[in-house]
Amino acid sequence: MGIKRLLKSCTALTLLLVLLPWGQASARPFDELMASGFVRIAVYKDFPPYSFINDAGEPAGVDVEIARLIADEMGLELDLFWMLPDEDLSDDLRNYLWRGHVLDHEHKHERLSGKKVADVMLRVPYDKDFNYMRGYIGEGVYAYQNDLVVMMSPYQRETWKLAHDTQRLEQVRTLAVFQYHPIGVEMETVPAFMLTSVFNGNLRKNVRHFRSPEQAFLAMTEGEVAAAMGMRGELEWLLNQHSDERFKMGDTTFPAMGKPHWDIGIAVREADRQLGYLVEGILEPLVLNGELQEIYQRYGLTYEKPAFFDF
Amino acid sequence: MKLGHGKYFAVSALFAAMTLGMHAQAAVTDKDILQDHLTTDRIVTDGMGLQKQRFSPLTKLNKDNVKDLRPVWAFSFGGEKQRGQEAQPIVVDGVMYVSASYSRVFAVDARTGEELWEYNARLPDGIMPCCDVINRGVGVYDNLVIFGTLDARLVALDKDTGRVVWRKTVADYQEGYSITAAPLIVNGKVITGVAGGEFGVIGKVEAYDAKTGNLLWTRPTVEGHMGYVYEDGKQVEKGITGGEAGKTWPGDLWKTGGAATWLGGTYDPDTNLLFFGTGNPAPWNSHLRPGDNLYSSSRLALNPDTGEIVWSFQTTPNDGWDYDGVNEVIPFDYKEGNKTIKAVATADRNGFFYVLNREDGRFIRGFPFVDKITWASGLDKNGRPIFVPENRPGNPAKTDGPQGATVTTAPSFLGGKNWMPMAYSQETGLFYVPSNEWEMDIWNEDVAYRKGAAYLGAGFTIRPIHDDYIGVLRAIDPKTGKEVWRHNNYAPLWGGVMTTKSNLVFTGNPEGYLMAFDAKTGEMLYRFNTGSGIVGTPVTWEMDGEQYVSVVSGWGGAVPLWGGEVAQRVSNFNQGGSVFTFKLPKAYE
Repeated sequence: MGIKRLLKSCTALTLLLVLLPWGQASARPFDELMASGFVRIAVYKDFPPYSFINDAGEPAGVDVEIARLIADEMGLELDLFWMLPDEDLSDDLRNYLWRGHVLDHEHKHERLSGKKVADVMLRVPYDKDFNYMRGYIGEGVYAYQNDLVVMMSPYQRETWKLAHDTQRLEQVRTLAVFQYHPIGVEMETVPAFMLTSVFNGNLRKNVRHFRSPEQAFLAMTEGEVAAAMGMRGELEWLLNQHSDERFKMGDTTFPAMGKPHWDIGIAVREADRQLGYLVEGILEPLVLNGELQEIYQRYGLTYEKPAFFDF
Repeated sequence: MKLGHGKYFAVSALFAAMTLGMHAQAAVTDKDILQDHLTTDRIVTDGMGLQKQRFSPLTKLNKDNVKDLRPVWAFSFGGEKQRGQEAQPIVVDGVMYVSASYSRVFAVDARTGEELWEYNARLPDGIMPCCDVINRGVGVYDNLVIFGTLDARLVALDKDTGRVVWRKTVADYQEGYSITAAPLIVNGKVITGVAGGEFGVIGKVEAYDAKTGNLLWTRPTVEGHMGYVYEDGKQVEKGITGGEAGKTWPGDLWKTGGAATWLGGTYDPDTNLLFFGTGNPAPWNSHLRPGDNLYSSSRLALNPDTGEIVWSFQTTPNDGWDYDGVNEVIPFDYKEGNKTIKAVATADRNGFFYVLNREDGRFIRGFPFVDKITWASGLDKNGRPIFVPENRPGNPAKTDGPQGATVTTAPSFLGGKNWMPMAYSQETGLFYVPSNEWEMDIWNEDVAYRKGAAYLGAGFTIRPIHDDYIGVLRAIDPKTGKEVWRHNNYAPLWGGVMTTKSNLVFTGNPEGYLMAFDAKTGEMLYRFNTGSGIVGTPVTWEMDGEQYVSVVSGWGGAVPLWGGEVAQRVSNFNQGGSVFTFKLPKAYE
């Protein structure tokens, strides 16, 4: 691949430039990463269609494919690091990127903490407000909360959608129909909050909570609910898996939703920006030349470019 | 000493067994457990008695000689696993059984501090303990040492070898469950609750046969869920908790309602009742679940044979502040005129101290035990809080802009008192309550994400109310609500309290000191620095005619994990992981 070769020569040049004026220390982690022969990329566990183990027992999903592309282009082996999500993104960044998990107490890894961390984390929202969010730490000081990582390289735009059972609801124009029909939703998510609070809580009695979007979707196929709400990618995947004309994606919009769409990118440690730029250099052409879209299409997913590329 | 030298261990265990005297081979019986609060040469329960008054009848150590208390041995948990150590040691026939962080158990010669065996639970990847990887102690029964693990199992070990005798899964750790509390063992049954974060868990109390680990009954703590008993291996319905679903919860939120029973319980032989507290309801946003949300943030009295709920008392209905209602319920009797009142007392996270009739749960009285409470203006005649609506955290669904209005509330969600057990003195009639003076700011945030999805988060910070102290050890009169004395502590208190008939009160602080106070005046009579913060609970017992005191040292737990000014205040405390054991020098006998 042309890009790959170009990147490799770029990398060598960059390395040389960096090494000369600043000495070995600052370039060392990147140098060592390249020399180690592998790149460790973190993806969420059991998270179809983004990252999961398929029926053949192989790692699969959009993010797994992207991870493979990155490793390939870097000329390194891919070491997939499966993440279990904690309560929020800050926890995941801490557990899998900058400090390591509290339970990893064997201290066998090269970081000062001795804990296993990834070089690159995928499916991280690209949101500078979050990256540089400040929290009060006392004595009038508001300190950065996520300043040990840097969010880079947005590669996809995500949004909320609703799938419905056409035998029960031919169309879903507004959420008002859920005063009369039950709707399934993953618990502790924005759709769950929104559905239980809009219209002064009038939908509350018809909202069914499930542990996963898949369970909400299955409840729809089994007739327990008339619709299911979740992330577009997850619902499209479930609709494809189920392939029954009876269940369709709605084109409902959700005016009451705090954040109707958001961009997904990568995160690296603040000190590893150089690696981040390298990955950005790999992903950006794939966004622009449609290769990424092909990957999404292979999984039956809509691909929407992040706002970053609106120019 | 390291594991793996099998022979050496066998020999040292044998040697220990030979030197232990009469009790050496005696198994722990139901009677031993029921009598634990009266016996002085053993500690076979967490709480120094099933009622968990943590009151010792011992008097050798007293106000005059406690200043001469000396450490006789220290034992390190070793490894690089130094996290919060919140256990209370158990002592049976010269052997101490104590648990440590990361679900470890150690058997130690109580005379010398030499290790006899250790057990390290093999924990799976991906467990999600909310508040440090702590363990709060073991139970003993027959020849077994029984404890709960971070992956929500009960494990029974042979007390002489540390080998696993039985192991049972109480709940699925992959769904967010774990166990950190010491199991309660009553009449051959191991009674346990479960811990769980905000992952939609359902609290429950369960009983297992102590000898076999077979499940005997299970009782969910959220309205609408069926309880069961197991007869000859068959599951038999035993009634729905709260009668039916949907009475105090909207929609189907009862299915994922929370109310985790993470701190374990107490037992009162007099009324034959178990007492368990329950955690906060889910989801955290109280505006989405109008109603009382039973039985979250409540105290429950259960039938120990069937698990049926005999009575309940809810301290924080429609909890919107994360005021878990798990704190221990301590049975005690007091006189009113000529009448003996059979009561229980509990000091809630929400800042109120409650005295209830332990036979029927009726509210007798309640009063603040911290200086500042802003979420409620008081309690009504039934003990129900009188809410201050403007101090309820806002509805995230109604947030305009990236951050909603900030609400400041006292106490903070870590509570006027958290998990750390208080003690009751039969001598003074006072409760000794380890409490904290702190408040919190809560606001809604729409710049939050979870597993690749946008999320409505809540931001919070915990602040000390005073510059010079957070922790307050208080002596509280349950009959009047009066604070008889107090001792202020710079760092928040996070360790339990123990008291003796000779009017001593023992506790530890995050600064590392084991401290002894005069139970009547609060004068500090003794302190010794153990080198790391104390967040465990001291015990005392008698051995070879001498009175011993032991406490686990090892800074950690929930406090250092939370941000804000409180984390700053404790950021210089060093970690550790050891047991310290004290007695008077022989010359003083």
